[in-house]
Amino acid sequence: MDPRGAAELLENPAGALDRLAAVGGGSFPNLVAARGYTNAELDRRAAELADVESAVVLFGSWGREELTSQSDDDWAVLGDPSEGVLTRCREVLGGAGREPGQQDLFGLSFLCDDLVRNIGLDADTNTNLTRRMLLLLESRAVAGRDAYERCVAQVLHAYLGHGVRDYRPPRFLLNDLIRYWRTICVDFEGKRRGAGGDDPKYAERNAKLRTSRKVLFAGGLLPVLLCHQKTAGEMQDFLARQLAAPPTDRLAAAFITQGAVAEGVRALGAYDRWIGLLSRPEARAELAALREADREGSELFESIREIGDELQRGLLALLYETRLSPLTRWYGLF
Amino acid sequence: MSQHLTLGCSTGYMYEQRGDWPGLVRQAAAECSFAVELAALSEPELPGLVRYLETGPSLPFLFVSVHAPSKQRHVPEVDLVAMLARLPRSIDAIVVHPDAIGDPSLYRGLGRTLAIENMDSRKPEGQTVEQLEPLFAALPDAGLCFDVAHAKSVDPTMAEGARILDAFGDRLRHVHLSSLDDDCHHVPLTEDDESLFGPLLSRCRDVPWILEAPPSS
Repeated sequence: MDPRGAAELLENPAGALDRLAAVGGGSFPNLVAARGYTNAELDRRAAELADVESAVVLFGSWGREELTSQSDDDWAVLGDPSEGVLTRCREVLGGAGREPGQQDLFGLSFLCDDLVRNIGLDADTNTNLTRRMLLLLESRAVAGRDAYERCVAQVLHAYLGHGVRDYRPPRFLLNDLIRYWRTICVDFEGKRRGAGGDDPKYAERNAKLRTSRKVLFAGGLLPVLLCHQKTAGEMQDFLARQLAAPPTDRLAAAFITQGAVAEGVRALGAYDRWIGLLSRPEARAELAALREADREGSELFESIREIGDELQRGLLALLYETRLSPLTRWYGLF
Repeated sequence: MSQHLTLGCSTGYMYEQRGDWPGLVRQAAAECSFAVELAALSEPELPGLVRYLETGPSLPFLFVSVHAPSKQRHVPEVDLVAMLARLPRSIDAIVVHPDAIGDPSLYRGLGRTLAIENMDSRKPEGQTVEQLEPLFAALPDAGLCFDVAHAKSVDPTMAEGARILDAFGDRLRHVHLSSLDDDCHHVPLTEDDESLFGPLLSRCRDVPWILEAPPSS
């Protein structure tokens, strides 16, 4: 790829997945289909909520643009809306088996101010951390876009407003991002223990840790590391542009600009197979029914494990065997 | 090469312990505990390897491949494939030489675990894209085990190796890494070959590299 093209992708990774397919001779049919479906459904919901002024935000697969017919509607309203607004949201979002996945996180309202004011210390609860990170890493507004963008900017400013230096990845944000990823991993075990060792969602959660959650984390880690190419004053706009693109575009752009096209095609090709599995109701039902004890005998779980391994190897090659390697080594642990 | 995260050894060059699978595993792990290729290059070695793996040994490796026999073949192909199919699911790849495949349809059951290796210049087939294409067409789930030294023996400019990666790179599962002597035997990687192979290896950074000869240093 010519340097100018790489520079453009670094500034705005939107569309990078298509570029990766083109330059690498690969294809990502399931991701492409999921993006099309996500955007069509976003438009439909936005039209139905056109009268709502509050910021109504969709998270998870909506934010990653990986929606399938089996996905949940993980939504929340930013601010302190009237009960009427929440009722309107419940009429349009959820239903038909698409109810929000975690009732304490989604299907309600919360204040942007809480996300901004409470970073770290006791007031930054698990719920607050999760909402803040999901807002940054995988969210889309379906109403009240201006208010949504203001909230994202406020959260970014909270991380970048103090102590950030030119050409140094912003450590406050980096540390919180890594904390969030490790929190997901630790909570996975906590949920298993909390269920008395037979968590009915163990296999499903484990599968998502190997795949979607890894993309969520890496899709945030890379833009933060790439801030080393920016002055402190440039970082907020740079991160806002990066995070406005779906994580698979951010990853694809990083693979391309780091000269790891072949590795990117294989890593995102594996992830594409995961999205393909999620779009099949029978595979989703089989995964939901799997328990920890019987997952080892499951061909489906074996496929997911292989997908997760291929994805991780690609991400590790990107982070440790390209020009990003010094950054990853310097900032990744300490 | 030393910068690559996912290096491993083939037991194929550990001649002294051939057949002693626990000993081979210990020696391979002492070299590198990330990845290993358990090489049953001669057919009589395979039953012992299958029995060993069926005992469910605890292995330190994150990636384990098995090299299927290419020498001293006597068992009917259908029975050989049945034996390969008995390998535990924890095996990440089963490497098969194209010239060892008589009826490709027998291997479909191995699914994505099957990895077809490109051949050196001594072999009658499996050296080029055109020769590999029919096999991959018949085995759509099969992966590629890219032997970079074999590619050099076929075309010292490495152009054919690049074509193989162009054509089948999306199937790449792992790399075989070594140099070859004049008789196409695997020998430790030379500095010249390491430089020559660099551009192609830089397209394979996400997969394990298996050393088919002792490390140079």
